[in-house]
Amino acid sequence: MGFTPFDFNEAIVQRRDHALEGLRLGSPVVGLSLRRGVLLVTVRRSQRKIYEIYDRLMYSAIGNQSDIEAVRLGAVDLAAREGFERSPDDVTAQRLVGFSLSPALKDVFRDQWRTPSVIRAVFAEMGRTPDDDAFFVLNYDGEFSQHAGLVAIAGTADAEAAMREALTEWLDAAASGNGGPELEPAVAAALRAWAVGVAALNDREPDEDEASSGAARASAVLREELKSGRVEAGLLDRATPRDSKFSLVSAEVLDRALKMAQGSEDR
Amino acid sequence: MTNSECDLRSRISGRAPAIEMPIGIRPAAAADATAGTPSARSARPDAFPAEVHGTTVIAVKYDGGVINVGDRRATANYAVMFDRAEKVLPIDDFTLLAISGSYARAMEVVRYLRHSFKYFERSQLQPMSLDGKLSELAKVVAASLPAAMQGIGGFIPVLSTFDRAASEGRIFFYDAMGARFESTEFAAAGSGSYQIRGVFNYIVKTRGPFHTMKRAEALREALLLLDIAADLDAATGGWSKVLPLAKTISADGIEDVSEAELRAITNEIAELER
Repeated sequence: MGFTPFDFNEAIVQRRDHALEGLRLGSPVVGLSLRRGVLLVTVRRSQRKIYEIYDRLMYSAIGNQSDIEAVRLGAVDLAAREGFERSPDDVTAQRLVGFSLSPALKDVFRDQWRTPSVIRAVFAEMGRTPDDDAFFVLNYDGEFSQHAGLVAIAGTADAEAAMREALTEWLDAAASGNGGPELEPAVAAALRAWAVGVAALNDREPDEDEASSGAARASAVLREELKSGRVEAGLLDRATPRDSKFSLVSAEVLDRALKMAQGSEDR
Repeated sequence: MTNSECDLRSRISGRAPAIEMPIGIRPAAAADATAGTPSARSARPDAFPAEVHGTTVIAVKYDGGVINVGDRRATANYAVMFDRAEKVLPIDDFTLLAISGSYARAMEVVRYLRHSFKYFERSQLQPMSLDGKLSELAKVVAASLPAAMQGIGGFIPVLSTFDRAASEGRIFFYDAMGARFESTEFAAAGSGSYQIRGVFNYIVKTRGPFHTMKRAEALREALLLLDIAADLDAATGGWSKVLPLAKTISADGIEDVSEAELRAITNEIAELER
């Protein structure tokens, strides 16, 4: 039997479906670039979800934990070697994702004898100024894209679009204030966007009375999801004098942000 | 870890370990560098400034942690090569390394340890234990020995840390083979350290142990010790031109002693002999 173009299409579709099925219910991740630094926010269920990769680089992903871990370790190895042998200044998300991670994932995806990776990852990089901050989204098949200002990853494109819309709306409102948003309101806004994403994933049509208040709906989703999960946020801090800019946001800040997110229309 | 995980990770990052301390100058190469020019060296020792050396560094405890001081001089044979050397270097948030001996090798070790500790924490998702860090340092000190036997590349570190579990400062010093010793009160390394060894004991026996002293008192004693080292050792720099370097480690982490505070104490010490 020969190999036909149809077999090729079939195989690609099957592998893509396999990956997308695995990604569909992943807990979304929200990223924001702020004056204070770069923020990633999610709600974790079992494993920790936001990781430090290098001095100015952090990472989060949805998918199979083993694939998430393999990409994380590969990225940490690579960044560490490059930073040690050359300079920490030469470790950038662009180089990491574009020249190393993407080709490796693409190789695995197109190899018929290998299980495709189930992963959608986001790399957040803090530049010297907020304008230089960057987010890279990397997919199971090696495809990647660069984003500025905000980013959202979720199991479906619809959920991601809904989250981006919520974030943009909030950023526009917050930008009218002086000096840009502070950390806690930003985490709260990210949590509301996260809830919007989860609602979209669950494919819930807003009820008549709920539709009037997006905040109430987000609050209901958060209340439900936080029975089993908890909030996790990573910050690349522009103010710290340490070389390593990464830290996990403290529980107190997260608690206050959560109250803010679950509260009324308070912005 | 499953095969496919290993495979993806190694596809991304290759199979070699992420960070490896270069072994430095191999003994054979070191032998070439020195043995190749024996007559030139013995005839004019200053004609071949082979290698820059850091001189004296001192660590003493105080009631809140540890103080490290060092002069700023780096020498090669009889030449002063650099008078703004920094020989007290943070390797993580709660650990200071004070270095003496081969400047090139010591700087590379500091760079290696900084990267290596961070790499461990990032990949393993937990910080390296104190014991792990001390062993890592012992390994790189011992790795310099073959070259040191040939005359270059040897260095001796003093490691100071704040042990947050025990809530106290701790000081460790090493010999050239990598043997590790924990000191209860103080440690020193470098060319001027031999001349002041007995002074440490004199201070402890007359003024009490360093770990009961207030910060200001311990800092003054440490700078006085450095001043005596500079008086008695040709390679140790004084502070007529450049102030020495002093850092503290406490429960709050590592802090520089301010220039104003250093200037006040060094002026006071200078007055002692007027």
